[in-house]
Amino acid sequence: MTPRESAALRLEGRGLVRRFRGGAGLRGIDLGVASGEIHAIVGLNGAGKTTLMRVLLGMLRPDTGEVRVDGVDLRSADAATWARVGQLVEQPLAYGELTGRGNLEIAARLHGIERGCVNRLVDHAIEEFDLGRYARVRTSRLSLGNRQRVGLAAALLHEPMVIVLDEPTNALDPAGVILLRESLLRRAAAGAGILVSSHHLDEVARVADRITVINDGRAIGSLDPDGVDLERAFFDLVLSDDAARDDAARDDATRSAA
Amino acid sequence: MSARVAPRGLLRAAITVEARKARSSHVLLWTTVLVVAGVGALTLGILAAVASGEEQVIAKLGPLAGVGGWAGLVGIVVQITAAGGLGAFGVALSWMFGREFADGTVAALFAMPVPRAAIAIGKLIVYAIWAVGVAVLLTGVVTGVGLMLGYGVTDAAGFGELARLPLLVVLTALIAVPAAWAATLGRGLLPGIATTIGIIVVAQVLAIADVGAWVPIVAPALWAIAPDSVPAAALLTVPSVPLVFGALCALAWSRLQLDR
Repeated sequence: MTPRESAALRLEGRGLVRRFRGGAGLRGIDLGVASGEIHAIVGLNGAGKTTLMRVLLGMLRPDTGEVRVDGVDLRSADAATWARVGQLVEQPLAYGELTGRGNLEIAARLHGIERGCVNRLVDHAIEEFDLGRYARVRTSRLSLGNRQRVGLAAALLHEPMVIVLDEPTNALDPAGVILLRESLLRRAAAGAGILVSSHHLDEVARVADRITVINDGRAIGSLDPDGVDLERAFFDLVLSDDAARDDAARDDATRSAA
Repeated sequence: MSARVAPRGLLRAAITVEARKARSSHVLLWTTVLVVAGVGALTLGILAAVASGEEQVIAKLGPLAGVGGWAGLVGIVVQITAAGGLGAFGVALSWMFGREFADGTVAALFAMPVPRAAIAIGKLIVYAIWAVGVAVLLTGVVTGVGLMLGYGVTDAAGFGELARLPLLVVLTALIAVPAAWAATLGRGLLPGIATTIGIIVVAQVLAIADVGAWVPIVAPALWAIAPDSVPAAALLTVPSVPLVFGALCALAWSRLQLDR
């Protein structure tokens, strides 16, 4: 990656290593999300997708490597930097005791929006994610899918330029999936850099400009979003990586025994 | 592009958000009702038992059993509050901090312009405002009970004793703050509640043994049982507990990692 390319990245991780007890974690990942790009990461359960997103957002400190958010080193990111970020990793910002609207209002305040601008942004988010029916309903009474919609609206209502979403289509109905797809495409067209993880290869292919395959805490290759059989290409990459690692482990064991 | 708040407004935003969550959840409201109704019911029960000559209750009250009027009423209330109120305050704090981990909402509080330390401080400020409200309400209720019992006429000179009550409630609320730190370190409600129980046990055992006037977590309970054995300067050490543990709490939230 040239310095010029690096400067244009909305989100960048270099040499990211984060090990957990038991061997799981990240084993050295480089990843970038450019302005206007939707970059998808796919992988099996436990491959390291969520850990990677946590490290990129400062939820976990890497053992080694560095993260830059809109060109700013994560360790020195200030309020202005974080104001350009929207994320939904694991649980949505959806407090059960608040209504749908109430959750969006507190999300706006936490995203640093002035009190006078909150209502306008919340109204727009309710319209964008078709939450009108649930705006005055306590979130604890909403279905999982509608809670996810509230969480997505809360993550995106301040028009962030750096967006990180972990399995954003989780529990969404087909209408919700389409709303999210249109929302992401619109934001990417406006210059946002978007990183999403997903298990749904078909859905990923519809929105992503780039698909990176994560396996065993490493980026092992990429898939062509316009490819004809993504599932087959995905498993070819993962299985050949697993086989290569098994061979390497056997060689190590043989050398140790000798 | 929407207007962004200045950095100094971020703490205000955190307080606003935490106040809204606290108001909407009803947890603090019900805790207030339980504290006021519980202390009120226990006090009336003890007064009735003393009036009917219940020997066990009189023995447990010790010298306080012979004190009538406002001093006797306030004496009973502060002793109940020093233990029961501390439990309620600790549970409330454990919920305010621990629920973010139990509900999983803590992940949504990362990557925000409002720093997590400000969110922790916002929670503590909302808690402090609520605790003052509980103190005022409980004092109002006890005043009503005293007037109902006729102390306004029979013991008008002892009315000033009531001033001890709001002070005791606030001091008790202050020494519960370690529960917030424990709930943060333990990532849930139970570590905070366990810490609260630990503080209650230490405070009550040392207070009954009449030692620990200069130990900040003991001073309020000892002052409730034996006001003369605790100098005013010892009570001034109590705010050191929320200052130290509030700072530790803000630091823990600032350095928080989702590694468990």
